[in-house]
Amino acid sequence: MKLFEYQAKEVFARYGLTVPPSLTALTASEAEQAAKDLECPVVLKSQVLRGGRGKAGLIQLVSSPEEAGQKAQELFDSPHGVRRLLVEKAVDIDQEIYISVTIDAEKAEAMFMLSIEGGVEIETLAAESPEKIHFEYADITRGLLPFQARDLIYRAGVEGDLAKKLIPVVIKLFSIFKDYDAELVEINPLFLTKQGELIAGDGKIMIDDNSAHRQEEYSITREHFDSDMDFEAAQDGIPYLQFDGEISLMCAGAGLTTTVYDLINYEGGTVANYLEFGGPNYKRAKRAMELCLRNRTAKVLLVVTFGTIARADVMAEGIVSAMQELKPEIPIVTCIRGTNEEAAHKTLAAAGLDPLTDTEEAVRKAVSLCRGESR
Amino acid sequence: MSIFINKDTKVLIQGITGKEGSYWTKHMKEMGTRITCGVTPGKKGQQVEGIPVYNSVREAAAEHEVEASMLFVPPRFTKDAVFEALDAGIKKIVTIADGIPLHETMEIRKAARQADALVIGGNTSGVISPGKAMMGFFPYWIERVYKEGRIGVMTRSGSLTNEVTAMVVRAGYGVSTLVGVGGDPVPGTRFAELLPAYQDDPETDAVVIIGELGGTMEEEVADAMNKGLFTKPLVAFLGGRTAPKGKRMGHAGAIATGGKGTVEGKVAALEAAGALVAQRPRLVGDLLKQALTEEGR
Repeated sequence: MKLFEYQAKEVFARYGLTVPPSLTALTASEAEQAAKDLECPVVLKSQVLRGGRGKAGLIQLVSSPEEAGQKAQELFDSPHGVRRLLVEKAVDIDQEIYISVTIDAEKAEAMFMLSIEGGVEIETLAAESPEKIHFEYADITRGLLPFQARDLIYRAGVEGDLAKKLIPVVIKLFSIFKDYDAELVEINPLFLTKQGELIAGDGKIMIDDNSAHRQEEYSITREHFDSDMDFEAAQDGIPYLQFDGEISLMCAGAGLTTTVYDLINYEGGTVANYLEFGGPNYKRAKRAMELCLRNRTAKVLLVVTFGTIARADVMAEGIVSAMQELKPEIPIVTCIRGTNEEAAHKTLAAAGLDPLTDTEEAVRKAVSLCRGESR
Repeated sequence: MSIFINKDTKVLIQGITGKEGSYWTKHMKEMGTRITCGVTPGKKGQQVEGIPVYNSVREAAAEHEVEASMLFVPPRFTKDAVFEALDAGIKKIVTIADGIPLHETMEIRKAARQADALVIGGNTSGVISPGKAMMGFFPYWIERVYKEGRIGVMTRSGSLTNEVTAMVVRAGYGVSTLVGVGGDPVPGTRFAELLPAYQDDPETDAVVIIGELGGTMEEEVADAMNKGLFTKPLVAFLGGRTAPKGKRMGHAGAIATGGKGTVEGKVAALEAAGALVAQRPRLVGDLLKQALTEEGR
């Protein structure tokens, strides 16, 4: 789960990292009031999870409360699904630093990255001048020791007073990473102000979903999703992605679903939605189909599975009873294989479905049905 | 031969009395796996499929020969169970658990490497050498997928493995050993680390890897091939070629991998190293034929 910037900064502040004075606003008038309280200039920062907010115009510097109210309204009205603004006091910047901690899967250690040239162009810098990015690794149980933080900072070319101020930032970053079961903690940019102070300009924290049971402070809300459908499916624990094509995908297993998605594209078809009902969800065909059928652009429902524990016969029965209950108006193409597939094929055939067993054949059939070709 | 397990490997089952544990113990045994003992804390004295159950791995390993441990343990207790097996000196461990906390997967991999052990998983179906032995849960009775043969398979996925392996069999081949390294971001064992075993296995003529977008495991395979650590034919299928740009890990992911992780990047790296990359699962069989004919096998 990704935290919003305002949440990440709450965490930073709790660990003693400096963040700009700020307030959050859910309406334009709240934004105007916040601008008054904080004193302009302030920055209005849209609390959305997408990257590149600045380039998309989702971050606005304003110089009066009236302007804050006006710009806030524009942001709320934009097509980017902005529901909350972080109104933040503008910072007098001298330099931008990049710092993050994530995971090196091969080493199985926390990996720090530091560059004294941070900011929005950091990826370009990494591609063009990789020597300007400095790395350090920490064992997750031993932790990041101070000598490692010092070594990283001096290697990055930081000296004197700034080095002394940066050491605790690096160490605190590891504490946050560890305490929040994070996949990523990133500050970009970390501002060095003209007064020589280090302030977190932005904040990203990604919490590992497998650790959600011991990370109860933050939870998934509607604000995390682009559409109501995505949110509803996520609350059901069914992975779902909305597109606007014609084939509604109801598959089991992420790898297989992704492959079917590829095959549809190769055949010139388009995907209405990606839905994965494998693993613990294989008995929930009805709920899965319900979500797929709500898709107004879908012309065909394509079911592809090849499961082991997710038994074929159970999924076939689920699909047939869902059909009887939901009475879909669009045709259904099935390619259900795996444990007890013979019984599954009988169940599907008895319900008038053609139980295909070859994925590519099923994809081609779905694509031709969309084109209005014969069934 | 085969890699990792064969019909003589002495296997312990942790979590043997649970619903999944006992069900798959029966199947593993039926398939020919040599299971010597099982563990469930507090269930000492019971038997599952005629296999004696102990309270701890130490206790079981003191009474029986144990070379490998198969875990049917929930994700939150997996770290504990893996460390218990490592402490008892077991060098081959398979964990199927889906949902192990990320930081614990880091601890598991680190500890395994320090102990010079191999942990396969989590979030996997396990390891199978068809016709010989299995540590995991595979529908080995589906002949058009799990047929004994001379092709090694390594995979990050579950149901896609069935899909692709069926194409290997349809082309007239079978499987020597299939290893599911699992779908977690930090798997206990990575593709490239298994290549030397396939290289040395006289019963493996070629290897198929089933990968997907994200991570760097496929690129590591290409590196290993470039270094000459694996010289047999290698065919890859990678899912996610047309996937929309998925979740991005801030800037860190892009900086750390330096452009690795995309399917295009993986395909280029593998092809440059001499691997054949199939665009569709069906083509895996054709490419295997092509590679093995060139090899004159």
